[in-house]
Amino acid sequence: MMLRNLCICLILALAFVSLNGCSQGPVTWRRVTLNQTISTDDVIFIVPGKTDISAVVERLGAPNEILASHDEIVTRYYFTDGKYFKANYGWGFRFVIPFFAPDLDLGGGGIGRDVFQVTYDNHWLVRGHAFAFHSRSSEFLAWPFRD
Amino acid sequence: MRSSSCILGLLVVALLCQGCAFIRGNYGEEIGQGDITTIQKGISTRADVAAVLGAPDRILEANGREIFHYYHYDVKSGSVFIFSRTNIKSDDIFVIFNGTGVVEEVVSGKRKGPLEFQFWPFDWPFH
Repeated sequence: MMLRNLCICLILALAFVSLNGCSQGPVTWRRVTLNQTISTDDVIFIVPGKTDISAVVERLGAPNEILASHDEIVTRYYFTDGKYFKANYGWGFRFVIPFFAPDLDLGGGGIGRDVFQVTYDNHWLVRGHAFAFHSRSSEFLAWPFRD
Repeated sequence: MRSSSCILGLLVVALLCQGCAFIRGNYGEEIGQGDITTIQKGISTRADVAAVLGAPDRILEANGREIFHYYHYDVKSGSVFIFSRTNIKSDDIFVIFNGTGVVEEVVSGKRKGPLEFQFWPFDWPFH
C-alpha cells in the first residue's frame, strides 16, 4: 500500500515537473511598490509654523527630493504602487492541440505615484503640507480594451 | 517506512519550490548612521562632508543653499507560481550648506516600515 502511494506521488511529481514550462500558468499577478504609503494619520503631528524639519524627518524619514520654490523649500516623499495582471486565454489549447498552443495574452495594469509634499520657510519650520494621490491609476486590468 | 516519508517530504518541498524565485538587489552604497553623526552643523564644510560620505550623487541648489544628495535603493523581490511582488525602499541623505559652505542642516532618516520579501500581490486578506 505504502509502495503504491509512493508510486502515485512519484508519478504526480514527474507530471508536475514535466509541466515546468507552464509554471507561469494561465494567469499572472505582479506588483511593484516603492516605499510604504504615508497616510493622513502619519502626518497628523505636523503643525505649520511649529514643527521643524528634524521632527518631520524623525517620523517620516528623509524625503526623496528637495526643491527650491521662491522663498521656500519644498521636500517631497514619493511612494509608488504598480499593479499588473496578465491572462493567457490560449493556454488551455495545449491540452487539446499539443502541437499548436497559441498564446493569447490580455491584461494590463498601472502605476500610481503618490506624493506627500512639505514646504518649509527659511528657518526650516513647516509652512504647509499636502498629498497628491494618484493611486487609483494602480490596478490589475483584466480587459485592456475598455475606454 | 521512514525513508519513504522523507522522500515524500522532499518531493513535496521540491514541488512547492518550483517556480519560486527570491531576488535581492541594491543601488548605491548604504551610508551608516555613524558616518552621518560625524557631520556637525555650523562646523563641517563641504570638504569635511565629502571626506566622510564621499562625492554626492547629486548637487542641488535651493534658495542660495547648496545641497549634497546621497541616495541608496534596496530591492527585494519574490515570485511564487503566478504571484510576484517587488518591494523597493529608498534611503536618501541631504546635507545642506549655507552661503559660506558650512553645513546648515543634515536631513537623514529611514523611511517607515521594514523592507520585506513578499510574493502576495494583493492587499487582502492581510489589510
